[in-house]
Amino acid sequence: MENVEFDSSEIEYVSYGGEHHLPLIMNLVDQELSEPYSIFTYRYFVYLWPQLSFLAFHKGKCVGTVVCKMGEHRNTFRGYIAMLVVIKPYRGRGIATELVTRSIKVMMESGCEEVTLEAEVTNKGALALYGRLGFIRSKRLFHYYLNGVDAFRLKLLFPRTELHPSLPLMADKYENHMQSDQGDTPFK
Amino acid sequence: MAEDRASEPPSIPPRASIPSGENSVWADVSPLLNAACQDLQEGELIHGDNFNLFAAMSALEIMDPKMDSGIACTYYSLDEAIENGVAPVPISADKTTDVQCVIDIMDHLLACEATWHKGHSLAQTVYSCLYLLRPERTSSHALLHSYCKVIRATCKAILSAVSESRTHEEEDLFTMAYGLPLSGDGDEKCLSLLNAVEETISRQLRSCKASSSKRRVSEDIEPLQNNPDLEEGYCKALLCRLRFRKHFYHLLMSMKRPQGRGLELARKHIASCISEIDYIKKCSDFLRVNAHGMSEQNLENTTASGCQPIGFDASLNCRLSAPTPPRSIKILCWEKALEYFMKLLQDLDVICSYTLAPSLEAALLFVVKFQKSQPDLVARAHLQLLLVQDGKLYGRDPIFSMITRAAGLPEVAEMHDIQKNEFMVQLGQLVINLLKIICTNAAWQRRKLGKMLQDWRVTYVQLEMAFKGEFEEASKAPNNKKVCFKIYQHILAWVEEQTYWIAFRFLNLGFELELYSVHDYCMVYWYTYVVLIKLAEKKHLRMSMSSDSAKKKTKKKRDSFKDGEMDYQISAAVLFLQSQIYLSEGLSMMFAALRNEHRIVPLLSPFNTEHEIFVQQFELLQKACVPDHVSYATFKESTMHANFSTLAMCDYFKEAQRIAKEVKSSFVNDPDTMAELRKIEQVAERNSIALNVCRAGALDPKLKISFAFCHHPFYATAIVKRS
Repeated sequence: MENVEFDSSEIEYVSYGGEHHLPLIMNLVDQELSEPYSIFTYRYFVYLWPQLSFLAFHKGKCVGTVVCKMGEHRNTFRGYIAMLVVIKPYRGRGIATELVTRSIKVMMESGCEEVTLEAEVTNKGALALYGRLGFIRSKRLFHYYLNGVDAFRLKLLFPRTELHPSLPLMADKYENHMQSDQGDTPFK
Repeated sequence: MAEDRASEPPSIPPRASIPSGENSVWADVSPLLNAACQDLQEGELIHGDNFNLFAAMSALEIMDPKMDSGIACTYYSLDEAIENGVAPVPISADKTTDVQCVIDIMDHLLACEATWHKGHSLAQTVYSCLYLLRPERTSSHALLHSYCKVIRATCKAILSAVSESRTHEEEDLFTMAYGLPLSGDGDEKCLSLLNAVEETISRQLRSCKASSSKRRVSEDIEPLQNNPDLEEGYCKALLCRLRFRKHFYHLLMSMKRPQGRGLELARKHIASCISEIDYIKKCSDFLRVNAHGMSEQNLENTTASGCQPIGFDASLNCRLSAPTPPRSIKILCWEKALEYFMKLLQDLDVICSYTLAPSLEAALLFVVKFQKSQPDLVARAHLQLLLVQDGKLYGRDPIFSMITRAAGLPEVAEMHDIQKNEFMVQLGQLVINLLKIICTNAAWQRRKLGKMLQDWRVTYVQLEMAFKGEFEEASKAPNNKKVCFKIYQHILAWVEEQTYWIAFRFLNLGFELELYSVHDYCMVYWYTYVVLIKLAEKKHLRMSMSSDSAKKKTKKKRDSFKDGEMDYQISAAVLFLQSQIYLSEGLSMMFAALRNEHRIVPLLSPFNTEHEIFVQQFELLQKACVPDHVSYATFKESTMHANFSTLAMCDYFKEAQRIAKEVKSSFVNDPDTMAELRKIEQVAERNSIALNVCRAGALDPKLKISFAFCHHPFYATAIVKRS
């Protein structure tokens, strides 16, 4: 598939805004992911955590989305990234990074201690993306998917205030990072 | 969506109905649904108090092919499929065609069996065969009947071995067998029927050979099928298939015998299975050439002939057994299925040929080595069942005596009352668990080993306290207490050594499972280095204690030669670790220097720092205090000043190489350790060279450095290239 020519500034990021966004999200996920989800699966996420879902538009067309949740899990308050999709012609331009970064930021501000998700071991793109954001591969899940492929459980641990008295600085760093919009900025 | 459907004329084809139950009748709900459709908009939900958004997620969308398993079915029930002639008995009135079809069924079943072993459900693989689902239906067809019987009995035996070993966590699809007829009437006698059928076919084969060589037929035997030209080929094709099943079943039964008493016999059956597989392969050409239908040369074929088998429908079980996922799965092709069975047989042979009286240490190392060949679930389950029987190693040696021997205690200790101490009992259980865990798949194994570290640590502390109690007593007590004292001392040292051995394996498995990224290597090798130091220290302590005991003994015997040999052994085992200590320290320092000299761009996450990565990577080790007093701060301290010039002064790789070379002579009779030492030497040498190139070209921006596991599975080799 041909890549689409566009400038990063042309991409518009929108927080989930209501039922009219639902068909857009469903379409995208249905196209790109093999798992079958009913409309109720999407609703579970976007109704309970609308602030964690984002959509990316290019000239009015929805080209990417992220759907997440958060809650108590074994005595930790944890965020979970359920679905992240960018359609093929728009990949490799930082749209997925931007989408997921927005969700993670909200999770961090909401008091999450960590964020998790699962990714196929063969999904190099996703693994690299999450690796750049500070996720580690905490475990390998044997034959996790029904096609027999293993998965990695990825985990991002947020700094604890008592470990880092400079936590506010972390948020500043985050702002700078986002402005430069470079996942691989060399060390300065 | 609902409204579109409602306006369509009902076009459901008439089907054989599923009978009503005692308290239920079938009713047409179309009017009710139609009425409901008027009220509900698309995607709306009837909201009950006990039905929240989470519960709604389990809803299935009817008529969605991704979700509705019913839509993919050709038949609604097994009866309906049979009525429609999906699995006829006989398969064909023409005897030649019938034989051809039976062979295809046998082959497809083998492919299904391999697919099952590889982690799919029994319902969607082997039991997609309709002939297996109705055991009594095949009784008029001796050949098919005997084969189905032995298949069911084999599945049952394997299923029970895997369930019993409990090595299948995460592989639980394997043991799901809800509602499947795993045992038909008289399946336990499957071998006698199989033997009878085999005997008939061998006679048919003899008879056709005799008639083809124009010799007089001694007895009047009805041929297998109608075409005399094909008689020999089909007899042979059937015989090797039947014999494979017979030996495979015998093999499983032999391996089940207690205390490994059937292993020698099992090896004979393995050899027979392998030679039957060879025959099966040899008659493939014949089957392809004479295939009954359209035989295609296709890589996806699940039969030797290339024909589609008759009597299989995986979609039926989607409905028969609820947890089966509605998705269709791919059955392994014929070649892959044979490959799988060859590998399984070879793995089982390795298990059967191992000594029945190993030391505990040797047994652990054997399993680790066995796992390197990546054996599948069935082989691993059998190994585990053999290793741990009735709480004894191979069902022979009590775990406590294995521990006392491993701890280097004299045999008298085996009988000591100390083994009744609750913490000793606990330790025995830990050892049994360890043996079981290292038989599981690497992913599960690593998690279990990590969690287990805390148990080992706690047990150590409890034993130490019990030991202190004994120590106070010992000063005023007679000789018996001194024995007690000694047992504790030795066992404590051994427990610590074992704990660090587990930690080392835990760290190594992370490489095998690809859990580390290049950015983590520095800290992972540093942690490995710290753990290895402790392991070497504990090993040395434990070994010198044993050699002290040995010395006292030998001095009495005036056997000074043995004494000297003992000392030499100690240093070799510890030196082997020493070479790895230098290697992992070298690797850690190399990665630190590369980063400090800006040859590797460090990770810059917007959300966390290296500190959080460290906390996560070593969480389980840190929780268990393995080792004590190690933290992110210690790691940082020891790596932050590493650079090319400090590395030049202390060349860890040269040291590793030197020690590996020196210690080799002590392991001439141990090919595994020899191979390991050679690999360590290679990695150290290559990294030493790479580091020199980096140092010399420190300012050359064109130098690109990458890492590979080309010489060793967990010690990386640096590769420097000029771009």
